[in-house]
Amino acid sequence: MSRNGVLLQVEGVSKSFGALAALTDVSLTVSAGEVVSVIGPNGAGKSTLFNVITGLHGPTRGRVLFDGQVITGRAPEAVNRLGLAKTFQITNVFPGISVYENVRVAAQSRTPEAGRFTSLWRRPDVDTTVMELLVAFGLGGRRDETAQNLSHGEQRYLEICLALATNPTLLLLDEPTAGMTPGETKDATALIRRMALARGLTLLLIEHDMSVVMGISDRVAVLHFGQKIAEGPPEAIRNNPAVIEAYLGGADD
Amino acid sequence: MSSPLSLRAALVFAALALLPLTPWMSKYYLLLAFDALLFGAVAMSLDLLIGYTGLVSFGHAAFFGLGAYSAAVLLERGVTSLWLSLGLAVVIVGLYGLLVSYFATTRRGIYFALLTLIFAEVVYTVFRYTQAFGGSDGIQGLPPPSLAPGVLIDTPARNYYLVVVYLFLAYLVCRTLVSSHFGRVLAAIRENEDRARFLGYDVQRYKMGVCMISAGLTGLAGALYPGRAAYATPDLMHWSISGEFLIMVMIGGLGTLVGPIIGGAFFILLQEKVSSYVQWYSIVVGLVLVFIVLFVPKGLLGFRGALLQGLRRGTP
Repeated sequence: MSRNGVLLQVEGVSKSFGALAALTDVSLTVSAGEVVSVIGPNGAGKSTLFNVITGLHGPTRGRVLFDGQVITGRAPEAVNRLGLAKTFQITNVFPGISVYENVRVAAQSRTPEAGRFTSLWRRPDVDTTVMELLVAFGLGGRRDETAQNLSHGEQRYLEICLALATNPTLLLLDEPTAGMTPGETKDATALIRRMALARGLTLLLIEHDMSVVMGISDRVAVLHFGQKIAEGPPEAIRNNPAVIEAYLGGADD
Repeated sequence: MSSPLSLRAALVFAALALLPLTPWMSKYYLLLAFDALLFGAVAMSLDLLIGYTGLVSFGHAAFFGLGAYSAAVLLERGVTSLWLSLGLAVVIVGLYGLLVSYFATTRRGIYFALLTLIFAEVVYTVFRYTQAFGGSDGIQGLPPPSLAPGVLIDTPARNYYLVVVYLFLAYLVCRTLVSSHFGRVLAAIRENEDRARFLGYDVQRYKMGVCMISAGLTGLAGALYPGRAAYATPDLMHWSISGEFLIMVMIGGLGTLVGPIIGGAFFILLQEKVSSYVQWYSIVVGLVLVFIVLFVPKGLLGFRGALLQGLRRGTP
């Protein structure tokens, strides 16, 4: 673990789907403890960038380093085990089992039993981890509810609980406040920031809501048509002519 | 729920153990009970895949048949030790299970089912046309197996006790498994396998693991069959048998373990009883099954649950 050093390096990553260039030569660095946001109009390649980082897609060119190791070409489960977790833009939980079971299966992936023969008969005790997370996200009273019966906002929180239960050092959040009301968004943003601080987490997030981005980020990178067109502190990005052009002049949001 | 064996389950097994002492258990009924419990156990191990992991195997007859042939080949050569039969069955079914599960788990849904079916049909064809295994006649006229030198399993009652012990142990294995760390991952895979990967789980490894366990339990059940029937035939591996296994799980109740045992036993008893009265028994059996699927979609165990709930509410 590189202390205060670079945690994530995206080096010259390009990704094409057939003739479509989803990403072109994108580089990005995230240091430990930072909160970095990736913004851009729809179709700018933000989710593709996340998919390349987390191992779902291999890049056409370039490479990704996490904590000094090249992770390009590794499967999502292998990347996750290194300490890189992801939440999904469209809620992606285990619908038919209880809220508690959802988080438990995530938390137990970090116990010594995981992937070993003893997992066939042992059931590790992760109760403390699970309940701490559920209570922190206001889901303590919903622990026995089936996940699919949760409200949209609650499912968004459960989504984050699943990722946090794997005890990551870097958390990728793909539009964590998607579909939330302005009030919920405000609460969620505050909560995410609190959790990140308390756990010493590094955050990389995709966000559409400018109030979230400006409130939470140390640094903002802007993608447009698969290319990084700007990067810097939130205030500088807000006034960057190229960014304004991309948002107002190009593809609408 | 720390112990895998609940008080109720213990009582049921005690009752099963006492059953042969009752006066109406003739040899015929003991053998019928053997079949009911043996196929109940097979349905239970298939439930690990279907109900708990969401994988539909259409080739479990091959695991059963390979287990049966493992025992039959040894018995035919005068090797009567049950333990050697069980050991050989585990090795053969394990190797075959490794092959099938490795390829089948690379695909999902209907493709998984089709791959298990295709592999099983290959096995069926090989045994059907290999004269060393007796071709379409299979291996007939086998001597009874022995527990130890001189201790033969040669009566219906002894066979019955053997299957009760097997069912008991297999139930403990399955019950422990589904509530373990491993079992929770299986549920996660059933619910959303992509998400399970992003939590750090190597999904294919877990799928192969549960396939192998299910196959192994089914193979062991198969190895007990020649001791009761004195034969092993390729018909045991026919795809229609795999289909019957699926039906047993469905009518019993997915993801309950106990349900499929009941489903398997019910299927065997229904088939036997109806066929002793009419020749066109498969029509009757089919109609009953259609009725169950339409009106009791959660299976016999779910039906009982709904009935109890209705009684408690005072509206049966």
